[in-house]
Amino acid sequence: MTLSVALGPDTQEGTRTGTAESTDFLAAPDIPWNLVIWNDPVNLMSYVSYVFQSYFGYSETKANKLMMEVHKKGRSIVASGSKEQVERHAVAMHGFGLWATVEKASGGPGGNSGKSGGSGQGKGKRG
Amino acid sequence: MAKAFKYGLKGITGYLEPTERELLRSLIDDVISMLQPEEREGQDPLAAMIGLDMDVAEPTDRAVKRLLPNVVKNDGAASLEFRQLTERSLRETKIGALRAAALDLDKDEIVLTPEGARHWSMALNDVRLVLAERLDIQDEEDAEHVHLMQDWSQAEDVESYLALVYNFATWLQESLVQAMLQSLDTRR
Repeated sequence: MTLSVALGPDTQEGTRTGTAESTDFLAAPDIPWNLVIWNDPVNLMSYVSYVFQSYFGYSETKANKLMMEVHKKGRSIVASGSKEQVERHAVAMHGFGLWATVEKASGGPGGNSGKSGGSGQGKGKRG
Repeated sequence: MAKAFKYGLKGITGYLEPTERELLRSLIDDVISMLQPEEREGQDPLAAMIGLDMDVAEPTDRAVKRLLPNVVKNDGAASLEFRQLTERSLRETKIGALRAAALDLDKDEIVLTPEGARHWSMALNDVRLVLAERLDIQDEEDAEHVHLMQDWSQAEDVESYLALVYNFATWLQESLVQAMLQSLDTRR
């Protein structure tokens, strides 16, 4: 992701206190599918956070944490659920221009776990 | 000079010069033409109507593939199956946002509803994704390199011109997203 530095002080982010929490992560621990967002050098960090807040209803804190995980680790699991649910999220993410894939929670189809070094990190960070 | 988008009483507002609007319009038109689904002979009209496309293939153009990425990593077959069900409507969603943004370019002053702002942010993002592929931005280092191009008097070749256009779109999108984050906050 990219952090644009071309902004003047008039457009700086104000103080926000988001309280919305997603219910996605409160579901049973044996959730079968994950939605993964991958890092890319084009999408703005602010935009990725905006998408997480506006689409998933995540708080600013949670959205920024997930966004930073994408940025630093190369990928992040941002939602989990049934195959249909995460596929619907994936299409929405593609609509926003984010690079999203779906995978089985056990490590993903096609043996792609560990490829970016960030796989499986999402689990311990939930809640 | 364009003015950064701002969130205020009227909603999200911005201002662009006629030349800037022309530039954005042509970029948007380019992306729309890349996303326009091919009309093939013998296509099932009913299937097309409900968004199915059984003859769809993974895009060969890198920029189109970035706009319409595979949904399963390292699994072309599963991704293709998903494309058959979803790609047509995804193309239409993107084209819808791009067209909505293009319509707002008819006036100097841009006043956006929350829905309009979302369309604009999606459209600017897709424009930037396409420009980034043309500029071969593969990693953060490439992005940094392109970001250094800020002076229009340096525009000597196609690549430097594209870099300046990319940076303009980036600046515009960043200011828009900051305004959208402020408006999200107010509505919470």
